[in-house]
Amino acid sequence: MLLLGFVLGLAVGFGFWLWQQIQLNRYLERVLQPLGSHSGKIGLPLLPCLRQEMSTVKQQHQDLQLSLQTYKELLDFAPLGYLQVDEENQLLWCNQQAREILHLHRWEPGQVRLLLELVRSYELDQLIEQTRDWQKPQVREWIFHPSLDNPKAMLELKPLALQAFTLPLPQREVGVFLENRQPLLDMNHQRDRSFSDLAHELRTPLTSIRLVAETLQTRLEPPLDRWVNRLMQEVDRLINLVQSWLELTEIETNSTMVLNLESVDVRSLIASVWETIEPLTQNQHLSISYTGTQKICIQADKSRMYQVFVNLLDNSIKYSPADTTIFIEMKVISVNEFIMGDRFSQALEINIIDSGIGFATTDLPHVFERFYRGDKARHHESLPEGKTITAITGSGLGLAIVQQIIIAHGGIIKAMNHPDTGGAWIQIQLPEVVANSPRQDYS
Amino acid sequence: MKAVINNTNPENTPPTRAIKRLERDVLRMGALVEQSFRLSHQALFARDLTAAEELPRLDKKIDRFYRQIESDCTSIITLQAPTAQDLRCLSAFMQLVRDLERIGDYAKDLAEIAIKIFPYPPHASLPEIALMSNNAQAMLATSLLALADLDEINGRRLKYLDDDVDHAYNQLYHTLAHQKDVPGVIEPILLLTLAIRCLERMADHATNIGQRVAYIVTGQR
Repeated sequence: MLLLGFVLGLAVGFGFWLWQQIQLNRYLERVLQPLGSHSGKIGLPLLPCLRQEMSTVKQQHQDLQLSLQTYKELLDFAPLGYLQVDEENQLLWCNQQAREILHLHRWEPGQVRLLLELVRSYELDQLIEQTRDWQKPQVREWIFHPSLDNPKAMLELKPLALQAFTLPLPQREVGVFLENRQPLLDMNHQRDRSFSDLAHELRTPLTSIRLVAETLQTRLEPPLDRWVNRLMQEVDRLINLVQSWLELTEIETNSTMVLNLESVDVRSLIASVWETIEPLTQNQHLSISYTGTQKICIQADKSRMYQVFVNLLDNSIKYSPADTTIFIEMKVISVNEFIMGDRFSQALEINIIDSGIGFATTDLPHVFERFYRGDKARHHESLPEGKTITAITGSGLGLAIVQQIIIAHGGIIKAMNHPDTGGAWIQIQLPEVVANSPRQDYS
Repeated sequence: MKAVINNTNPENTPPTRAIKRLERDVLRMGALVEQSFRLSHQALFARDLTAAEELPRLDKKIDRFYRQIESDCTSIITLQAPTAQDLRCLSAFMQLVRDLERIGDYAKDLAEIAIKIFPYPPHASLPEIALMSNNAQAMLATSLLALADLDEINGRRLKYLDDDVDHAYNQLYHTLAHQKDVPGVIEPILLLTLAIRCLERMADHATNIGQRVAYIVTGQR
């Protein structure tokens, strides 16, 4: 009886143990399942399996840690600035370059502080906010003025032109890459300056050469004076080039000061320009056609605007095939989209369209750059023999000057190809419309 | 703000979080005010009229921040029962944004002066005024820095910086007011006198901001 009780107890105890073992095995299987491949093998005891699993996971963790460390070091070493902020715009991490660019020397790794506490840049803060709201990468360029509490250092420290690329990250964090564009701009500026200095230096000897050539011209007999005439033409071209460059530099450096604003009737201005340069079109039988507003006045510098239309119409003439028309279209538009200030309510839009071959698509972004020439062959082909070269054309500066004058007037200029004629289409928008015909007011 | 975080438990309780947001807005407004001060400086001393034209737009933005921060402060005080330290912070913010807003207004005034003075040839004491403006700008930067770091010592230091600006004001006033045999109209001199007055007031408001920061930290005025 006693024995039977003992055996029964043993059996019950064993049963319990077995049940627990099964439970444990099931539990371990369940634990191992999400860990991946090894748990699938049948027959292996589960506990060693678990131990192995754990060591692999540990190894993986270490590897990941290591690669994370490597990436962090790489980022720290990167030539671009990088910083990362959390959803409250607190700076989580930034690399060495970002610290240099934004003067973030007060920040230490591991510290979490508001970005604005460390660098008071409204633009940067806004850009980050925008990226988070729209959840889209953004690019923006702005001038960063480092703010300093030392008035003497303030005079020495120069503002930086920065470009930022932002990227929305998980958990509403934002990553920002910063590029210092200042060295590039400085270089550009220096190049333009040295070129202007050179132009200044060239002007005097060129004038002398021209005078000498003029003197020679009167003293030489017919077969020889051909050479001097040719010389004169080339010297004139050089003088024009130098002159245009100096003018361009002047407009660019003090854009607001040189404008002599008055009320200008655009329609009659264009008409007078056309009269002046019409002789150039004799061989081509070109005509001009106006559409849109008849009489409209804007506040502008008359002589500068004259130059704008000379340059533009001259270009049109050069590229137009014979017996075609240059279309000029003027209309008054509302300007909410193009000028931010609420002072201007109306703007004048002028479209100049020719029927030439137009701009090559690859050239379009560059046509307003100095000395930019599209297809060179095309450029010379349309220049008939014996045609005199006017002030600007051929220098490669014509459109650059036009753009600078329009910008100085607070307007914008675009170059396109017209879908109908296939020719070049220059669109100008100018603010400061003073008056137009009463009929236009009601339309 | 370190002190605010240290004072309450590490988890972001609602009022602390709200105050953090508020601080962000105050600093944002500070950055805007700094920018408008810089623009007015450019307009006045570099004769950059495009900078002057941009200022009214900035001023509107600053005003919007001012109103928003003030109403946020009141709603936190009434709805979230802040602690003594938080309350001190909030009341200081309310005063401080007023100072910032005033500086923004003076920057706008300076831009208007810049437009009016533009046709006249530059006055001989202009470099000295530019230096005064630089000093005032540095004071604004110091006050905002003190606010960001909650740095009491920097906040108190502003009082001594203000003495420099006051001194420059007195001296410039003397030079401008005691000019004799002025050729032509006196408008440029009048405008410059107004300008130095603006700068002096801006420096005063920056000093106030420093005082308020010290008040947030220590609770003593």
